[in-house]
This record gives sequence, C-alpha cells and structure tokens, in this order.
Amino acid sequence: MKTKRRLILLVSVLMTLTIALSACSGDKEDSNASEITIGIPQDIEDTLDPHKILAAGTKEIFFNIYEGLVKPDSDGNLNPAVASDYKISADKKVYTFTLRDGVKFHDGSTVTVEDVKFSIDKCADTSNGEPLVAAFSNIENVAVVDEKTIEITLANPDSDFLSYMTTAIIPASNDKADSVAIGTGPYKYVSRSPQENIILARFDEYWGEKANIEKVTLQIIADSDMIVMNLRSGAIDMFCRVSAAQAAELSGTSYKVLEGTMNLVQAMYLNNAVAPFDDVRVRQALCYAVDRQEILDFMADGQGTIIGSSMYPAFGKYYMEELSTYYSKDIDKAKQLLADAGYADGFSFTLTVPSNYQQHIDTAQVIVEQLKDINVNAKIELVEWDTWLSEVYSGRNYEATVVGVDASQLTASALLKRFNSEAGNNFINFNSKAYDTAYANALAGITDEEQTSYYKECERILCEEAANVYIQDLACLVALSDRYAGYEFYPLYVQDFSKLYIVE
Amino acid sequence: MKAILKKLITMIITLFIVSFLVFLAFSVIPGDPALSKLGTQATPEALEALREEMGLNEPFFTRYFTWIGSFFTGDMGTSYSYGIPVSELIMDKLPITLVLTGIALVIMMVFTVLLGIYAARHEGGIIDRILMVVNQIIMAVPAFFAGIIICFVFGLILKWFTPGAFVSYEKDFGGFVAYLIAPAVAIALPKCAMASKLLRSSLIEQGNMDYIRTAYSRGNTTKGVLYRHALRNAMIPVVTFWAMAYTDMIAGSVVIEQVFGIPGIGRILLTGISNRDYPVVMAIICLLALFIIVANTLVDLIYKWIDPRMRDNG
Repeated sequence: MKTKRRLILLVSVLMTLTIALSACSGDKEDSNASEITIGIPQDIEDTLDPHKILAAGTKEIFFNIYEGLVKPDSDGNLNPAVASDYKISADKKVYTFTLRDGVKFHDGSTVTVEDVKFSIDKCADTSNGEPLVAAFSNIENVAVVDEKTIEITLANPDSDFLSYMTTAIIPASNDKADSVAIGTGPYKYVSRSPQENIILARFDEYWGEKANIEKVTLQIIADSDMIVMNLRSGAIDMFCRVSAAQAAELSGTSYKVLEGTMNLVQAMYLNNAVAPFDDVRVRQALCYAVDRQEILDFMADGQGTIIGSSMYPAFGKYYMEELSTYYSKDIDKAKQLLADAGYADGFSFTLTVPSNYQQHIDTAQVIVEQLKDINVNAKIELVEWDTWLSEVYSGRNYEATVVGVDASQLTASALLKRFNSEAGNNFINFNSKAYDTAYANALAGITDEEQTSYYKECERILCEEAANVYIQDLACLVALSDRYAGYEFYPLYVQDFSKLYIVE
Repeated sequence: MKAILKKLITMIITLFIVSFLVFLAFSVIPGDPALSKLGTQATPEALEALREEMGLNEPFFTRYFTWIGSFFTGDMGTSYSYGIPVSELIMDKLPITLVLTGIALVIMMVFTVLLGIYAARHEGGIIDRILMVVNQIIMAVPAFFAGIIICFVFGLILKWFTPGAFVSYEKDFGGFVAYLIAPAVAIALPKCAMASKLLRSSLIEQGNMDYIRTAYSRGNTTKGVLYRHALRNAMIPVVTFWAMAYTDMIAGSVVIEQVFGIPGIGRILLTGISNRDYPVVMAIICLLALFIIVANTLVDLIYKWIDPRMRDNG
C-alpha cells in the first residue's frame, strides 16, 4: 500500500514538473530572419499545380509563387514578367513573346522556351475534354521560333488573349507538379501542414525586385470569432478581409485597418426563369424598392461602392458609373410596376443565402426589410456553402440569392460571359437575344474602342433589364500590424506579399 | 475468453452500424464533393469528369462496400481536399488531440480527487458550500465559452500565453505542450466540477454505511477509514464518470480546437464535413466509435482492479 502511494506521488510530481518545465522552454527561438504571420480563413487546396487550382483562396496566395509571361500589377496593367517583351499582330491572331534573360525557377534552373511551350500546351490540352484554361481552346499553334522567342497563333482574333498569358509558367521537367511547387515568383513554397499553416520563403534569385520579408507563414484561422483575438495577441500580424465590426474592435490597438475594394459584384441574383422574376417589371420594381446607400451605411458605415451592373470600378474603361444611379429608390414607381405585372398585392419569395458569408447575410437582411415597403415578403434561408453550390449555383433550384461574383481575369468577358443565354454557368438563367448579340459582337470586335462599346452595351442591357438587383462592390478591410507596411490592393482577387516590409 | 469474443463481435457490429449511418447521412444531405472542389468556376463538363474520377457515380451500396472493404484491410483511402492518404493525415493530427485530452484528463483526475475529498471531509463547512456554488456555475458553462474567457483573461490581459500561436509538436515539443494547457483547462473545468461533486456525495454516502462504522469500531483513524475503505468504494461511480467524460472530451475537442486554433483531429473532422471530404470524415468517425468502445471495455477492467468482488463474474 505504501509503495503504491509513493509511486502515484512520484508519477504526479514528475508530470507536473514536465508540464512546468516544458512551459519554460517554450520560448521563441531567436532568429534574425525577417518574417510575417498572416491569417487566412481556410486551408489551401490539395494540388499545388497552378493550372489545376480552383479555389480563390488558394489562387490569391499562389500569386506569389507562380508567374506567367505577363503579370498584372496593382493598377490593373499587364506587365511583362517571364517574357521581357511581346508583339500582337494587327489582326489580333498572332502573339509573339520574347523571353526575359536569366529568369530562374525556384529549383535553380533557367526558364527556357520549351518550359513556356510545355506550360501553354498543358493548359490547352483537350484530351480530357475541356482545356485547363477555357480561352486556350482558341489556340491553333504554339511555335518555338528560336531559343528566346515563342509565337502563339489563334484560330479566331481575341484581343483579351494577353490577359490569359498570366497563366503560370512551370518547368517541363517537373512531373510531380501536383505536390512539388516550382514557379518563378518572388516567393517559393516551403511546406504545409493541413489545417495549420503554409510556409513561404523569399526567392533570392528572383528576376525582378526581390521581396522584402524573408519568411511568410500563412496561419489558418478557421473560427472567424478568433481573428481579432489572434491579432491582438500578436499570433498573427495581418488578416485580409476583416469585417467592419472586427475593424472597429481593432481601433486603439497597434493595428491599422486599410481600406480597398473586394472586387466582387454583390447583388441579389434573381432566377430569371421562375415566376414572378421572369417578368422584367417585377425585377425592376425590386430595383426601385432597394435603397443601396442604406445597405452600405448599415453594413460598413457607408464604405463600399454602389454598382448598377455586372462590372466594378477597378475595371477602369469598362466600368460605367452612370448605371449605379439608374434605379434610385422610388416606392411609388415600384408599386406601379408591380401592379402592371399583376402583383398589386405583392408576393412572397425565398432568399437563399450562403451562411458562411456574413456580408451577404447582412445585405439580405436589409433588403428583406426594404422590400416590405412594396408588400413583398422575402424569407431568408441560410444554407451551407456546399449546399449553395449544388442547389443554387449548379442546380439553379432557387428563387433569389445574395452573393458576390468575382472575375478570374482582368477582362470584361470574365464578368459578362456568364450571362449568355447558353453559358453553362449562367446560374440566373438570364435570357436576352440583344445581350447574346452584343456579347458576340464584343468578342468579334477588332479595335479596342469597338469592343469596349459592345461590352458597355452588355452592361447596359443587364442594368435596364434588371437581370439582378445590383448592390455594391464591398469594401475590403485589411488589418495590418503597424510594424509592417507596403500592402497594396489589386483589382483582382490576389494578395501580393512581396511588397510588404518591416517598419524600422 | 467467451467474454472477449462477445465484446469483439459487439464492437464490429457497432462499427458497421455507425459507418453505415454516416455514409447514409452523407448521401442524403445536399452537397457534392466534386462541386465543392470546383466552386463557382464549375462547368457541367468539368463536374461530370471529376465525379467520375472520384467514383461518385457508382451506386450507393457499391460505394459503401468498397469503402468498408478497404477500411477493414487498413486502407482508409485518400483525402479529397488534401490529396494525401487519410491514415497519414490522421497519424499527423492524432498526437495533438491525444496530448490535449491527455492533459485535460490528468487535470480532471487530480482536481476531482483533491476537491471531492476536501469537500466530503468538511461537509457543510464554508469551503464546501462555496465549492458547491462554484461547481454549479462551472457545470453550466460550456467548454467553448470557458475557452473564450480563458483566451481573453489569461491570453490578452495577463499574457500567460498567446491565443492562436500554436506550435507544432515536431518543431518544439515543450512549446506545444505549454500551448495546450489553457485549452485543456477549458475542457477539463466543467467535467472536473461534475466529477468532484459526484465524488463528494459518493464519499458521504459511503460514510453512512455499516462497514465504515465497523472500521471505526476496530479502532481505525478517520484518515485511515477514508482513504483505505471509503474512497475505494466511492471511486467506482467516479471512474465510470471519468471514462464517459474522457470520451466526451475527445468529442468536445472539436469545438475547443476551433476556439484555440489547434489543428487536431477535431479541426480536420469539421473541415472534412464542410468540404464533403468523405474519406476523412468516415475514417475519423469510425475511429472515434472504436475508441469509445475500447474505452468502455477498459472501464470494466478498472472496476475489477478497484473492486475485487467483480473479478470472477465478468
């Protein structure tokens, strides 16, 4: 009995000691390497192959690892990257690229024209059905002219083609692209631990301006309630896309909140194929009943940009500011339109909203209140993102939804293509002959002016036909510790870590 | 021998039922792993190709039996969202959850015994009453709320630890254990309160039994009676509770891992569910079920160690 008691005592003392001692040794290892820890809301995808990545959250990070022949900058221009120069023939059918001298891959090898041809051919390959980059189905031939020059010939003229040359260039020798990330970007991939973190390190042989910070750790914070806590505790130094409420909680701390735009078309998307939304007057009535400014004020103290069609300001020349005021709040007009459509007493519908996006839920709630003024009763139904994708987006089995749609490329077509009546991702079932014609004309257009004017016509049709109740391009708030600076907003859904630096 | 065989058969049947129900649930709820992977960029062609590749177009029973067949041969499949074998993923994350709940278990056991005995010995005293009130309050607090409070008070105000700054066990084991203490306390607190209350009342109840009176009449000291006779008997319901509490902690770690940003089994399970990553979810749930069954068997064995009367007829 005695010995047993002693044994128990010994074990418990040892255990306490282990815990206490290990707590002391847990101090941070000292290193002089500059580093930053950035919180991200979800893990990255399984594949590291830049051509197969689909999730926006993965793409925006891999912007730092991979580069194409050209690369977008924060003003929305396409600058030469792996290529040093390019020429576009007058008929917009032949694109000639000259390789930049001495561009190195992360494994130390030099980029050759063969690597470029390999990467483009890989994305244009149709042996598995669709090519990896849909626009590449237009490629007729990829020819290596000499060891510095590559020529791409298209079947049909496409003036948007250059923006697809942001497609990552990877080494032809890497046959394990799924699990081994080798690019040419300012950061190289080091490691990942599922649901924990992803680590990037500066690429010291980068051809351009090298990154400032040596090590970037992307820490996954799955619980949005913990973001502010983790910022304030110093566990993370930066978090992209905090909410207005979280930004308010950070005031008075050592964090600055930077404001940009999300580059999303947030709207109440209407299923144009179901009654009563198949009637243009009903859709217009909803547009007149919704007060967008009130939504902005409620959500983020007025931050954000009101939009009137499927285009946001970062698109520059394509964006039509005048459409944002096309429908101003007018309850009488809305009621009249409803009466004309035979809904003088109003109607009810279900508004399906993905539950993981607070900003869309907030918008939906304000809309529901505003629609009561015209006797329209909307009931919000929150669904999981996965359910949203299968029921609403893919199945088109819904009445209305509030969500944000982004552009994958810096081209107007990236936002407008889906509203073609035949488009596979036309989840609102928009069907307009005039639109289809205008869009086809835009694609066939030779001069830039011609194209731009047709794209603008598309936008105007979406607005006038009230395809959706367009709301806003949301404000994007980035929380950054005041020990760092240099964050830049892009007109695309990307994050550029290479410009960040430590404030001395 | 017969008893062991019986246990083994029950275990296999239970596993079958659990796995079937989970599989069934997943095929009934909306959501499609292929679509989940493709997101808003999905086109009907790409979706169809991926579904075919993932084997989702097979009939339900074919899919189920393929899965269960390979599970019993030790092949848990490959995760949809990570592209690595599920067994590798679990082996990587299991130590985290086991250490977390292990620390919580030790905390719970130590405090249960200390508080329970103290309260029983000073029954009705001021400390006993305070303990009872505090216990009531703690019992009503869910672990995740305790977690948030601990993060706020000990993390942000007192700065004893840095919320969210989890360190991997491969990198720095000491730092790893140190970080897990706060979440372990958060999980252990409510259980600790319940268990010590149980031990207290169980001890008091034993104190009124005849054999205790006999022990006193033999001239034993209060201490001797308490530790050598009463405690042994009083521990039986407490041990049962501990075992239940431990399995509960494993399940509850799902929530606490979320609050403290710990990339353990619970985190993997949760994201697996929202990504419709079936192979991961199925494997983890079946392992949890297995774990609970094994834990219950262990409790039976511990009973026999505490109370020799149970040894023969098992």
